[in-house]
Amino acid sequence: MPETPVLLENVTKRYGAFTAVDDLSFSVAKGEIYGFLGPNGAGKTTTLRMMLDIVQPTAGRLSILGSSSAISVRRRIGYLPEERGLYRKMKAADSIAYFAQLRGLSSRDAKKKANELLECFGLAAFARSKNEALSKGMAQKVQLLATIAHEPELLILDEPFSGLDPINQKTLEDLIAEQRAGGCTIIFSTHVMQHAERLCDRFLIIAKGKKRFEGTLSEARAGFGRRLHVRSAAPAAAFASLAGVVSVHAVRNGGNEAEYDIELADGADPQAFLRQAVAAGIAMTRYEQAGATLHDIFVTVAGDEAAKSAPPPPSSRPRAQAAE
Amino acid sequence: MKQILLIAWREYKQYVFSRGFLIFLVMFPVSLIGLTAAMGLVERTKPARAFVVYDQTGQYTDDIDREIERRRLLSAIAGWDGYVAAAARPDADVKTALAAPFAPAAVNDARARAFMEAGGFDAAQAAAAPYLKPGVPTYVMPRAQFERVPPPAGDIASLAGAEALLRPYLLGERRIARADGSAAPLFAAVLIPSGFGAGEGAEAAQYWSRNLTDVALEDLIGDALDGALQREAVAALGLTREALDDVAAISAPFEAYRPDRAAEEAQLGFADRVETLMPAALTYMLLVIIFGVGNLLLTNTIEERSNKIVEILLSSVTAGQLMAGKLIGIAAVGLTMPAIFLVGGLAASVAASGDQNFAGVAISALFSSPLLLIYLFYFFCAYAIFAMIFLAIGAVSNSLQDAQSYMGPVMILVFAPLPFMIMVFQNPNGFIASLLTWIPIYTPYAVMMRAAADPPMWEIVGATALMLAFAIVLMRFMGRIFRNAILQSSPPKAAEVWRLARRDGV
Repeated sequence: MPETPVLLENVTKRYGAFTAVDDLSFSVAKGEIYGFLGPNGAGKTTTLRMMLDIVQPTAGRLSILGSSSAISVRRRIGYLPEERGLYRKMKAADSIAYFAQLRGLSSRDAKKKANELLECFGLAAFARSKNEALSKGMAQKVQLLATIAHEPELLILDEPFSGLDPINQKTLEDLIAEQRAGGCTIIFSTHVMQHAERLCDRFLIIAKGKKRFEGTLSEARAGFGRRLHVRSAAPAAAFASLAGVVSVHAVRNGGNEAEYDIELADGADPQAFLRQAVAAGIAMTRYEQAGATLHDIFVTVAGDEAAKSAPPPPSSRPRAQAAE
Repeated sequence: MKQILLIAWREYKQYVFSRGFLIFLVMFPVSLIGLTAAMGLVERTKPARAFVVYDQTGQYTDDIDREIERRRLLSAIAGWDGYVAAAARPDADVKTALAAPFAPAAVNDARARAFMEAGGFDAAQAAAAPYLKPGVPTYVMPRAQFERVPPPAGDIASLAGAEALLRPYLLGERRIARADGSAAPLFAAVLIPSGFGAGEGAEAAQYWSRNLTDVALEDLIGDALDGALQREAVAALGLTREALDDVAAISAPFEAYRPDRAAEEAQLGFADRVETLMPAALTYMLLVIIFGVGNLLLTNTIEERSNKIVEILLSSVTAGQLMAGKLIGIAAVGLTMPAIFLVGGLAASVAASGDQNFAGVAISALFSSPLLLIYLFYFFCAYAIFAMIFLAIGAVSNSLQDAQSYMGPVMILVFAPLPFMIMVFQNPNGFIASLLTWIPIYTPYAVMMRAAADPPMWEIVGATALMLAFAIVLMRFMGRIFRNAILQSSPPKAAEVWRLARRDGV
């Protein structure tokens, strides 16, 4: 596998007057888990389809596993589209084997691999069941297994977590980690930030077809204001009066004390904040520095449509607002 | 290519190995045999239909009785032929081993007369006995279909009186007495007035029955009276009844020849008949297949589209490979059923005729024809043209309901040439034949129908070139519609389809 399995240079896709993807460039390194983030309609699926040569770009250059078209290397690629299904009348094992055969495995190897995977994922008893008889969760597992049965070098997953229950989400996370451990390069699109935060080495944020950010989570955080979590009996106004403080949100009130989420201005020093607080006689029973969440970064970078499409993380922010 | 065949095989398996198809395979011969057996049983157990003849002339009743008996005898001899063919030992060739009137052969009055003169069915059974399988039951003659019973007692001096008397019987209100004393419904009444005859102004004989669909007795009476009047006319010329029968039994030796063959091969035979009928049979088969697989292609593409399988497929194969695989697989499904009908039909005709050689002759006639390859070429061209249209319709539809709006016009296109095909068949080089040949979607039909009639070569070559060019353009357009529409989440509107057809890449 080349060191840069995926490379896009100035790729544009237009449908008539509408530009779905606008001058997009990025690259994915070998063995990397690469997150492809963006609100609905940002151009994620179109980009993934262009990478797979299902859709041709209007302009720009692509290189997939060293080839200018994914068609010639599609046997080395596994693809799970956002909208996916199975033949209702086909048996589970046959479905996995059929797609593996289409991607180059021999009939014998494909059947063997299908049964092994079903066994491994606890579905051995359903190998001869028709897909229409499977539960939704089981069918989703079968779709996933059909994507990896031919042992791809590059795995492209479009919104793989959508529609999965928490148990299957965990199964998928484990599977992605396992595939990466086996040397596979993985690209997945999502608008659920927790998965991206947990899994991705690097990620790209796209909105309205344009690249808004590419890099690691640390790099993203570096460009955002610092955040502090403190617990104190002092009122919120006491913290708000300190230099470098942009906002103070009471997260939780309990007894005499309250928990505050404090946002500092860009470039403000948290140590200077601490010194000011001590000098002002504000007693704190907790002081913790925190970075911006990916959700914050995503909403800020991708704009208004991102705020509508990305589900908020189950962390402090909404509760803080509720408490206010 | 491997991917195309894989897709084709999956499509084929999905339909041919389905429970419904396998049930059909079993049900088809079973129901055929069951139906034949049931019809035979009904025919054997059906009581003879009673009818009365009121003949004011007193001359024609015997003629009617004789016609009934004649027909019964002919039908009994045909039944005998079937019995001997089915009951004979496999190693016995009863056609040659049995003596002439008893061996299976054409059934006609001369043979019937010889049959009865040679001793009838008892003698036939004795003659056939050495060649029959051990333990087979003896032949039982079919029951009489009709029984003439005496008119009921009453005033039948006039036709009007007879009509009034018979009406309650004909309407089922009363039952008439049979010869054996039992009562039966009256099926029909024949009233022959005193003025009945062949001359101008003669009165007509009347046939009364409530059953207007079963015309067997009506035909029989008509034939019996025709024969009676013809015999009267012949007698007036000084000839006997037997002389007329002998004259009627004369069959002219008649042979057909074709001028495009050398003298010794010019006589038309069974193989020529098969070759002549082949284009009509293939055209019919083509229509059946297009009609049958059109729905399969539609439902199948709609399933892949609505089940969201198509995007996974398109990440593994190109749109062209997907289309080719589907076309091949579904064509094979379409051909499986006629192939089963063909094999089943040949087997059934062998069983029915007892002629082991029949299938061999038919198959060799079919495969030795130099036109077979030409027929197959045009057959697949026509299939490809229409199948592409169906695939494209499937690609722009999320449900069968969506597809309906496109299917109507397409079906009209498919079946439009049917009324003209008989004209092409009868006059293969006429104006209609030429016209249809030059319309690309009908070129295959027309050329298949004309191929055996030596149409002008320039016309066939030109029209075929036009058809191929049309097919290539159509495939490009339909292929684009398929590729461009199949991934759209909502089906395009009819007006957008043209835009999709012109756009090269998605």
